[in-house]
Amino acid sequence: MKIAAANPPSEFRMKAMLPLACCFLLLGLSNIIAAATPLEQANRQFAGGDFAAAASAYEQILASDGPRAAVFYNLGNSYQRLGQYGPAILAYERARLLTPRDPDLLANLTLARKAAAAFEEPRPNPRLDALLHLLSRNEWSWLVTGAACLLGGLALVCGALRLPRPGWRKAAAIAATLAALGMATGTTVLYVRRAEAARGIVLSATASVRISPFESADALGSPGPGRCVQLGRKAGGFIYLEVPGTQLRGWMADREVAAVAPN
Amino acid sequence: MVSQIHHSNIRWTGHVARCLGRQAFVELSRTAAWWTLVTALLLITIGVPTLAAAAVEAALDRDSVPAGRGALMTLRVSGGRVGKIELPEVDNLLIQARGQSQQFEIINGQSSVSAIYNYAVGSTTPGTYQIPPIGVTVDGNKLTSQPLTLKVLAAAATQAPAGIAPLPPSTPPAAADTEDTSGKRFGFLTVEPATSERKHVYVGEIAPVRIRAWLPEDARAQLHSGIQPEGQAFTLHNVSERPQQTSEVRDGKRYTVITWYGGISATKAGSYPASLSLKASVAVRDTSAPQPRRRSGGPFDDPFFDSILDRMNTPMIQQDVTLKSEDQEIEVRPLPTHGRPAGFSGAVGDFKLEAPELPRAWKTGEPQQVSARISGSGNFALVEAPKLSPPDAWKAYPGKGDFTPGDEAAFSGSKSFQFSAVPRKGGTQDVALSFSFFNPDAGAYQTVTSPAQQIRVAGTDLVEQEPNIAAAREPDKPRDPLIGQHAQLTPRRSLVPLVARPEFVRLLVIAALLCVLGGLLGWHRRRRADPMRRARTAEERATREALHAAARCAAAGDVSGYFAAARQALQHRLGSRWRQPAHAITLAEVTARMPADSPVASFFREADRNAYGHSAADGDFPQWQALLADAMASLTE
Repeated sequence: MKIAAANPPSEFRMKAMLPLACCFLLLGLSNIIAAATPLEQANRQFAGGDFAAAASAYEQILASDGPRAAVFYNLGNSYQRLGQYGPAILAYERARLLTPRDPDLLANLTLARKAAAAFEEPRPNPRLDALLHLLSRNEWSWLVTGAACLLGGLALVCGALRLPRPGWRKAAAIAATLAALGMATGTTVLYVRRAEAARGIVLSATASVRISPFESADALGSPGPGRCVQLGRKAGGFIYLEVPGTQLRGWMADREVAAVAPN
Repeated sequence: MVSQIHHSNIRWTGHVARCLGRQAFVELSRTAAWWTLVTALLLITIGVPTLAAAAVEAALDRDSVPAGRGALMTLRVSGGRVGKIELPEVDNLLIQARGQSQQFEIINGQSSVSAIYNYAVGSTTPGTYQIPPIGVTVDGNKLTSQPLTLKVLAAAATQAPAGIAPLPPSTPPAAADTEDTSGKRFGFLTVEPATSERKHVYVGEIAPVRIRAWLPEDARAQLHSGIQPEGQAFTLHNVSERPQQTSEVRDGKRYTVITWYGGISATKAGSYPASLSLKASVAVRDTSAPQPRRRSGGPFDDPFFDSILDRMNTPMIQQDVTLKSEDQEIEVRPLPTHGRPAGFSGAVGDFKLEAPELPRAWKTGEPQQVSARISGSGNFALVEAPKLSPPDAWKAYPGKGDFTPGDEAAFSGSKSFQFSAVPRKGGTQDVALSFSFFNPDAGAYQTVTSPAQQIRVAGTDLVEQEPNIAAAREPDKPRDPLIGQHAQLTPRRSLVPLVARPEFVRLLVIAALLCVLGGLLGWHRRRRADPMRRARTAEERATREALHAAARCAAAGDVSGYFAAARQALQHRLGSRWRQPAHAITLAEVTARMPADSPVASFFREADRNAYGHSAADGDFPQWQALLADAMASLTE
């Protein structure tokens, strides 16, 4: 009786909850749909030839939703269409941090560099350079971390348990050797490529390198838009930089240059 | 000389005097003194006329010169060491030093040494100029030359002075003379085809040429520009950076020839004059300048020295000139439209496709690297990567092309390509690389294709949007090189690499802790599994239990039980030490290994005595306990 008396309110609650759950589901779906919409809208603006509006929309997506390779890539395309090769190359370089082997991205980055005459400095040893850039710095970092964790895990397992079969012990030894090798290689590559953390891109065609961090200081030269530079310390609204492959070094207004990987 | 004679005479006379005696020595001394006197007189006779002839003589090689040209004034100083020369200053008259020489003469047995100073004298203002006497200091004495008169005539009124061959018409040095333009006085350029014998070229074709600058021998030249094509019809490519220099004779005249190699190409069809030019400053010998009057009878009175001295004395004229080649009409033919291959990129020349490298295994939608090399000769700048065929099964991305020149003008060589390609269709395919170019020697398009290679493409065909039919009907419209937008939202990730984030260090610390923990666990496990350690522990435990049992028996007054338990404790301790079973250790074993008066042997003897009938009183327990303690202590040590 008690049970019978208790059933109606429970059913009632279930019936009341169902529409509510549907509402939440629809709301969630609409949110998911709404999240994809800005990109589609921006792509439509790009396809319609309104590259400035598209660039602005991509910037908003990045500001609100965080770094995404596709958005950076599309942003670079928009800036390239606008003839702003500095911001275009910056966006492509940022996309390359996330998807380093995207062929579309690499092709468009090459196009932008050609258009801006901002070529990468030739490497003294192309084969070694290709090996070093086989993975991005992030991927090398994960390789080092993964190898270290694998090594630690193997040490833990082999320490806690006595592996019963010789084949297992052999496999564990090979895995540990490979992990140590991966750690050593990754650490070496990260050390060699440590200067990339301070890479920057010149945004403006009129950006000048000055002898001191003041607007009134004499200009030493203009690296040109899209040129990759090595960033140093900051002072006021200026940042010290060096242009690789040249003797040009000095101060540039921080609005005219941007770090590829923001700190 | 005289002192040397005297010195040798003295030595000689001393030697003779010792040999011949005093009188003979006096005779010889008189003779030597006489000869010395004669020698001195001779030297004075020769020297006095020489000193007496010190003189300064000035002369002009002509009486009149045209305005802007110069006469040669010779100042001859003889009879002494020349000191300071004081040149007079005359308004509008230029006197410039042109070197000096020395002349040694012997006439009728009389020698004379003369210093000859040459000066160029002239003016740009016509008139009659009086050159005052020139003061010269000779051996400290000041001498003067006679005054001279020079008439400077207007350029139009140039006349050859009496006794001198008429000079060629003169012009001021700065002005371009007739020889400059007509006779190529300052040099000229020639352009010759390096290899081909064709009289026509095609649009886009780079025709290798040899460019030669002919400069007069002894000329000094400074180039102000690179070689430039005249007009807009042709462009010049890849001019060699290090020209070769030779000496050659052309039309009976010797030239210094500078040779470059390069290529010219036409940008539009038609017949155009092809000419090149080069800006330079060229200094040449002014052969029209008056030559100094030659002296006869000197040691350099020889045609050979004449030519050398003439060249040395000839002034140089420097002028900024533009060296030009003669216009050559070249027919430029357009590239035929008939038979133009679809993948033609504008390459004109003769090429070969070499070393194509295609991976054997592919997957649809996944890019892989394709490499190939195109070698030959032609306009490599327009040589693009070979195309994959069948074309509808592939999507290729622009790659990189590295050109390796085969000659100095980069006309021949090879270009290596590496590019990414994505297969669109799955299955097994016969794939080849092809490259189209226009061969100017054959006058036709050619397509070179690599041998077909069978590859396997995993995956299904890529579904793509149907191409716009209207756009497809516009074959000439250049394809937009910018690859389009990405429609799919990729996952959100950090731009900062893991290595620059704190998590990197944390993860490494965790990994290090895992390693340390694993090591500790392994050490502990191995320690626990050690049989020696386990046996030692068991022995300790058995010893402890036996001692406890002995203590209990002592408390209960059980003598036999006490000795049995105490003996067992000692046997366990000794068995562990001697690695023997505890029960096998007897008094005989103990006395064999230990001194007979040791506490262990003593206790074993006492135990045997009690065990085999000689029971002792309970009151001996403290003594036995002390003995047992000594025995255990001696084994612990």
